[in-house]
Amino acid sequence: MGRLQGKVAVITGGTSGIGLATAKAFLREGARVVVVGRDQKKVDQAKDLLGERAVAVRADVANLDELDALYARVRDEFQRIDVLFANAGIPGAPLPVDKMTSEAFDAVYATNVRGTFFTVQKALPLLATGASVILTTSIANDFGRANVSAYASSKAAVRSLAQSFAAELIGRGVRVNAISPGGTDTGIIAKRFSPEQVKVVMERLKTTLPLKRLAQPEEIANVAVFLASDESSYVLGAELVADGGVSRFTSVF
Amino acid sequence: MERYEAKRAVIIGGTSGMGLATAKMLLDGGARVLVTGRSQAGLESAQKELAKGGVVVSSDARSLTDIDALAARVKAEFGAFDLLFVNAGFGLFAPLENTTEAIYDEMFNLNAKGAFFAVQKLAPLINRGGSVVLTTSVANVKGMPGLAAYGAAKAALRSFARVFAAELLPREIRVNAVTPGPIDTPILNKAFPAKDVAAQVTEQMRGLNPMKRLGTSEEVAKAVLFLAFDATFTTGAELPVDGGWSQL
Repeated sequence: MGRLQGKVAVITGGTSGIGLATAKAFLREGARVVVVGRDQKKVDQAKDLLGERAVAVRADVANLDELDALYARVRDEFQRIDVLFANAGIPGAPLPVDKMTSEAFDAVYATNVRGTFFTVQKALPLLATGASVILTTSIANDFGRANVSAYASSKAAVRSLAQSFAAELIGRGVRVNAISPGGTDTGIIAKRFSPEQVKVVMERLKTTLPLKRLAQPEEIANVAVFLASDESSYVLGAELVADGGVSRFTSVF
Repeated sequence: MERYEAKRAVIIGGTSGMGLATAKMLLDGGARVLVTGRSQAGLESAQKELAKGGVVVSSDARSLTDIDALAARVKAEFGAFDLLFVNAGFGLFAPLENTTEAIYDEMFNLNAKGAFFAVQKLAPLINRGGSVVLTTSVANVKGMPGLAAYGAAKAALRSFARVFAAELLPREIRVNAVTPGPIDTPILNKAFPAKDVAAQVTEQMRGLNPMKRLGTSEEVAKAVLFLAFDATFTTGAELPVDGGWSQL
């Protein structure tokens, strides 16, 4: 018997990377899964990959009308949600403070903060008693690093939302927690850089990361399964870090 | 294949409460388990509860001699093993003005020093890819009247988790802490021998908790096993199992 047997899960940002790996893990554990992405091509690919027990929906969490349409569809097909993994997020272009534009800043916040907020708000009528809501933050919210001020602060806001939502929703039996991934091998590096550059980046990561590697998306998915399942029934408002130790210690003096 | 098949685990402070619940879950999942405790009554009841294959060893978690003997025993029983759960701990309530040197030393000897040397002596026997889980407490992040020495000792333990994580990393051993809030275990009654006081404190903790209830030992055990075997990219971290008490 799966650890999520019979549960209905919605995963935003579910057509690639951590979200897609989590969809696979949720399916393996017996859940029915709705994955959401904003790129129709990736939505179609995810649908093919995940098979008949999954539904793939195109929606941009930054667009509230599309969120309404998404949940109307979920209501028609499943009537309820047991697990909501609000995972959609964008890094935005790396920009120093002096080069940041209001458009670039707003784009990051529209998806990461506003999108997460309304992904949860609009799901409320469908969230079952005992449901689990999981938000994706980032270890960037623990650090000061150059050129990622918009992204890092947006994830700090999401960390805060996890706490406020947890306090507000526990009254209706809904738990809210966050996952804070470190560097994860979602394929983005291979996509953005040439093979030679990838090699350089990977070598550098090995010398700077305590575990000498990035996380596999499946490792983050394992954390999502724990938080989604009743195994975490006394965990509330927490942020589980899965970063290979980066934010917790230094292995170099 | 069972979930914990072929795994071997050592639980220091495993004859009651959270340690015992973890031991049972591991046994049910096909693992081999060795638990320690120091009270005769606890050892005997654990012997019964873990009848299907658990090894119960009398060992005082504060005694370095006992820890040495335990390491030898673990080596004889298992050779090497996969999970070290350092769970022995206890909080004495004493306001600042009533905290004697004896109480202070007891808190640090049991909750910090004993745990430090348990990891030192047993880590060499942990397999590559294995895991250490330390039981800290919400008292290490939340100020609680009467728990200065206990909270500080647990904060020391939380700090050990980070440094042990860094030091054991080359052997691919992950080290994390589980941070229980108010859990319904026999220790509650031990901390407050007077029944009405125990009931009153329990009621207070329930009221203060966002989930309006105490946690169960099983809920902590599930978090421990998650950290031990599923959280493969998590090390040096702390997982609160406290109904949101330290988080909201």
